[in-house]
Amino acid sequence: MSSGDTEPIQLLQGTLDLIILRTLATMGPRHAYQIATRLQQISDRLLNLNQGTLYPALVRLEQHRWIKGTWAQTENNREAKFYAITKSGQKALNEETRRWRRMAGLVERLLGEEPS
Amino acid sequence: MAHLRRFFSKLLGLFSDNHVEGELKREIASHLVLLEDDFKLKGMSEDEARIAAKRAYGGVEQAKQLHRDERSILWLEQTVQNLRYAVRRLRRSPGFTITVVLILAAGIGTTTAMFSLIDGILLRPLPFSQPDQLVLLGDHLGKGLDLGVTAREIGEYSDATGAFSSLGGYAPRTYELSGGATPEVVHAARLTAGVFPTLGVQPILGRIFTQQEEDAHQPVAVISYSLWTNRYHRDPRIAGSIIELDRKVYSIVGVMPRSFEFPLFAGNLGQAQLWVPVSLTPEELSDEATGSWGYHMVARLRDGISLSQAAQDTDRVARQIMRNFPAGISAIQIRGDVMPLREQTVASVQPLLRALFFAVSVVLLIACVNVAVLLLVRAIQRRREYAVRLALGARFSAIFGESLVEGLLLSISGAMLGILFAAIAIRTALHLLPQSLPRIDSVSMNATVALFALLLALATGIFCSLAPAFAAAQTSLLDSLKEGTSTGSQAKSHAWLRSALVTSEITIALVLLTASGAFLRSYQKMLAVDPGFRSDHVLVAGYQLPSNQYPTNGSIEIFNRAVIERLRNEPGVNDAAITTALPASGGSAASGYTVEGEPVSKWKLKFANFAIIYGDYFRAMGIPLIEGRYFTPDDGPDSPPVVIVNQSMAKHCWPGQNAIGKRFHAGNPRRPYPWATVVGVVADTKPDSLDQPSADQWYVPTEQPATLNGSVDGGTRTLPASGYLTLRSVQPPEQMIHLLRSAVGSIDPLLALSEVQTMDEAISKVEAPRRFNTFFITAFTVGALVLAITGIYAVVAFSVTLRTQEIAIRMALGAQRLHIARLVLFSGAKLALFGCTFGVVGSLMLSRLIRSFLFEVSPLDPAIYTVSVLIMIAIALLASALPANRAASTRPTEALRLI
Repeated sequence: MSSGDTEPIQLLQGTLDLIILRTLATMGPRHAYQIATRLQQISDRLLNLNQGTLYPALVRLEQHRWIKGTWAQTENNREAKFYAITKSGQKALNEETRRWRRMAGLVERLLGEEPS
Repeated sequence: MAHLRRFFSKLLGLFSDNHVEGELKREIASHLVLLEDDFKLKGMSEDEARIAAKRAYGGVEQAKQLHRDERSILWLEQTVQNLRYAVRRLRRSPGFTITVVLILAAGIGTTTAMFSLIDGILLRPLPFSQPDQLVLLGDHLGKGLDLGVTAREIGEYSDATGAFSSLGGYAPRTYELSGGATPEVVHAARLTAGVFPTLGVQPILGRIFTQQEEDAHQPVAVISYSLWTNRYHRDPRIAGSIIELDRKVYSIVGVMPRSFEFPLFAGNLGQAQLWVPVSLTPEELSDEATGSWGYHMVARLRDGISLSQAAQDTDRVARQIMRNFPAGISAIQIRGDVMPLREQTVASVQPLLRALFFAVSVVLLIACVNVAVLLLVRAIQRRREYAVRLALGARFSAIFGESLVEGLLLSISGAMLGILFAAIAIRTALHLLPQSLPRIDSVSMNATVALFALLLALATGIFCSLAPAFAAAQTSLLDSLKEGTSTGSQAKSHAWLRSALVTSEITIALVLLTASGAFLRSYQKMLAVDPGFRSDHVLVAGYQLPSNQYPTNGSIEIFNRAVIERLRNEPGVNDAAITTALPASGGSAASGYTVEGEPVSKWKLKFANFAIIYGDYFRAMGIPLIEGRYFTPDDGPDSPPVVIVNQSMAKHCWPGQNAIGKRFHAGNPRRPYPWATVVGVVADTKPDSLDQPSADQWYVPTEQPATLNGSVDGGTRTLPASGYLTLRSVQPPEQMIHLLRSAVGSIDPLLALSEVQTMDEAISKVEAPRRFNTFFITAFTVGALVLAITGIYAVVAFSVTLRTQEIAIRMALGAQRLHIARLVLFSGAKLALFGCTFGVVGSLMLSRLIRSFLFEVSPLDPAIYTVSVLIMIAIALLASALPANRAASTRPTEALRLI
C-alpha cells in the first residue's frame, strides 16, 4: 500500500449526492448520523469530511424532492430526522448511476491507454 | 423540471425561513446527541463525549451557513435584506420619505393621467377591422377645405377608381326621433350600402341594410348600441320594430356593437345614433345640386396599394369628373385626394396632446431631479458610513445595490400613489376636457396605462439612485475618514453636481413659466375680444322641422310666424328671432357670391358665411347696426331682395365706398340668382370662436328664399326647416327655458328642441379648448415652480449646513451678519441666473412648439420673458431666505466648538 492510498480524497461534485441516494436506496430510511457513519465505513475512512458537510447535500436533495425527511425515534429513544428516498429520487439515482458508470468506464479506458 | 422544483422550494423558503432554520437547529442538535451517545458507548465520560462529538461534527455555525447558502437564492436573499434595510432607514426619516414619495406621486401621477389621454385618443386603434387600410376620399376645393364629394361623385368614384377593395359614401344629418318616449333630436348618418362592409364591422343583432334596400329607397335603419340601451332597454327582439324619424316610419334591422362609431366625430357631440340608407333623391342628383360638396366617402385600400398610388388614382378620376361638370359649376377646380381615416380623426388634437405631454414630461423630469437632489444630499451625509463600510471590505456593488433598492422602493411607492392620483384625475378631467376632443369615450385607466406608470417608476427609481451611487463611488476612503466630523471641504467636490441639478430644474421651470405666461396672455386677450354681439340675457334652442309634417314653404312659414308671435307676447321677452347660424359657435353655412360689376372673366370663387334670419334677430342678439337699416316686415317675398352685410364684407367687396345700395348675388356669375341690394351694414361677429379672425358674412330675410335658391316653383321647400330660436329677455335666460319649451309645445307638441342653452354657455363651450390649455399649462407651471422652490431650498440649505464652520470662522474674523446673509442669498440668486439663462435659450428654441396655440401674443414677447425671469429670481431669493437667515444667526462660539 503506497502512502497515496491512505491520503483523504476530495469528493467530486455530485458524488456525495449519488452516495447518499444509493445508501438510502439499499438500506432504507436513515438519519444524517447514520448516513455519515455509513459514508466513513464504505470509504474506509478515506473520505475525510466533517459530518456537518452532509447537510447542504441533504437540503439540496430534499429541494429536488428526491428524498424526504420525517422525525422519528431511534432505537435508543433519541429523536432524529429520518430520510427516505422518494420515487423521483429512485429515478434520479438510476439516471445518475448510469451516467456515473459511463463516465467511470470512459475514464478507465482513457487511463488504460496510457503507457505506464 | 427538478431544477424548477428546487427554485420554487427556494422561493418558498424566502418566506418560511424561520421554520427551516428551527428545523435545522433541531436536526443538528439531534445529530450531536447521537454522536455523543456513540462516543459514550466507546467508554468516554459525558464531557469528553460532548467535546469529541463537536469535533467530529465540525463547526456548527459553518454548517448552518453552508446549509443556508445551499437552500437559498443568494441574490434574492440579499435584495430582500436590502429591502428590509431600506424600509428601516426610510422609516427613520419620515419627513424625507413622505416628501420624496409625494413628489414622485405628483410627477408619475400627472404623467400617467396624460398618458391615458394619449393612449385613449392617439394610440388605441379605431373601432374597425384593419383600420390602417381605411382612407377618406374626396375633392380638395381651393385650400383649407375638408375632403368632400358631391352626391353624384359617390357613384362616379365608386365606379371609376381601382385602388380600393371597397368604398362607400355617407352624409351626416340629424333626425327628429319620435314614437314612444319624448321626441328628441338624434345625430345620424345616411350611408351607401358599401360603408358597413368597407369598415368591416358586423352588427351584434340583426343585419345591416343591403344595396337593394338602398336602391329601392326602403325605410330601414341600423341603430347604435347606446340608442338600443337607452331607448329600447336592450330589447333582444328589437329587429323589425318600428321607429319614427322625422315622423316617417322606418323599421329597425340591426344594432351595431358598442365600440362602433361612424362617422368619427369630435367628442360626444354629434355622434351618430343610427344609420339609414343614403338613397339619393333625384333632386340631390340633379344638375342644380351638383355644386354641393356635403357628402363624404370612406374607402379601404386594396392590398399592396400605397397611399400615394390611391391618391393618384383618385385624382385621375377627379379630372374625368371635372370634364363632365354641368355648366353651372364648370369654373370650379377640384383635386382628388385620400387621407388616412385615423389622421383625419386625431390630426386636430395631435399638437395639443403633444404639447401637454411635453409639459407633463417636464414636470416629471423636475420631480426626478428634485428627488435625485434629496437623495444626493442624504448620500453625502452618509459618506462616512460608506467610507467605513468600504474600508471594512464592503464591495461598491453592495452599496450601489442598496441605493438602487432604496430608489426603487421610493419610486414604486410613489407610482402606487401616483396611479391613485391619476385615476382620480382622469375622472375629474373627463368633465373638464373640451368635449371636442375626439374619442373621449375611450379614455380610461387600463392595463397599458398602469404598465406605463410602472415602467416610469422603474426608470425614475434607477435615475434617482444614480446620483447618490455616483457620490458614493467618488468617496475617497482616506479623506472621508480623516475629515472627522467636519464634512465641509470634502462635500464641495459634489457641489457642482448639486448645482447642475438645480440649475436644470430652474431652466425647466422657466421654460414652463414663459409658456404659461404666453398662454395666460392669450386667454386674457381672447376674453377681451369684442364678440360683436351681446351674449347676456339670450337664450337659444335648436330645432328641426320634419319634412313630413312641414312639406311646403307655407307650412314652415306658418310655424315661424306662430312661434315668434307666441314668444314675443310672453312676459319678459324683449325680442324673439330665428336664425340658421349662431355667432361664435361654429357651423355657419357659407356660399360663393358675385358682386355686381365684377368682370365675369376675372371672377374667382370666394366664400362668405350667411345666416337666414326671421324676426328681430339683430336686436335679440345685440348686434349693432353701423349703417342703413334692419330688415322690416315689408321685405316680403314679393318685394325686391335685400341683404345686410357685416363690416368685413362691406370693406372687402366695396373698398372705400358706401356699401348701402350696392348689389350682389349668390353663386358664380352664371347662376341666374336675383340681385340682392345691401340695405344695412352691421358689426362683425366672430363666426367660429372668439379667437378666430372675423369672416365676411351676410344676412338674408327668411321671407326671401329666392336670394339663395333662385326662383323655383312653389311646391319645393326652400325655406330653412331647421335653425335656432333666439330670445332676449328681461330675466336671466335660465329662467326662460320652461317658457320657451311650453311656447314651442303649444304649436307643435312633437317637436324636439336640442341644445337649449344660454348664449353665454354656448360661447363658453367654444372657449373651452383654450381655457383647458391655459388651465393645464398654468397648473403644470405652478407645480414646476413649487418643485423648483423645494429644489433650490434643499441645495442652499444643505450647503449652509456644510459651511457652518466656514461661516463661523468668517464671523469670528469680523464678518457682519448682513454680509453672511447676502452671501447665501447670492448663492441662490446665482443658481437662478444660470438657470434663467439656459431657460431663456430653451424657451426661444421651443417657441415654435406653442406658437399655434397662441392668440395675438408672440411666443417671443419680451414682456413675458422679463416677468418670468423676475419671478424666477424672486422665487430663488425666497427659497434661499430661510437658509440665509439661519446662516446669519450662526453663533460662532458654538459652531466652532463642534470642530
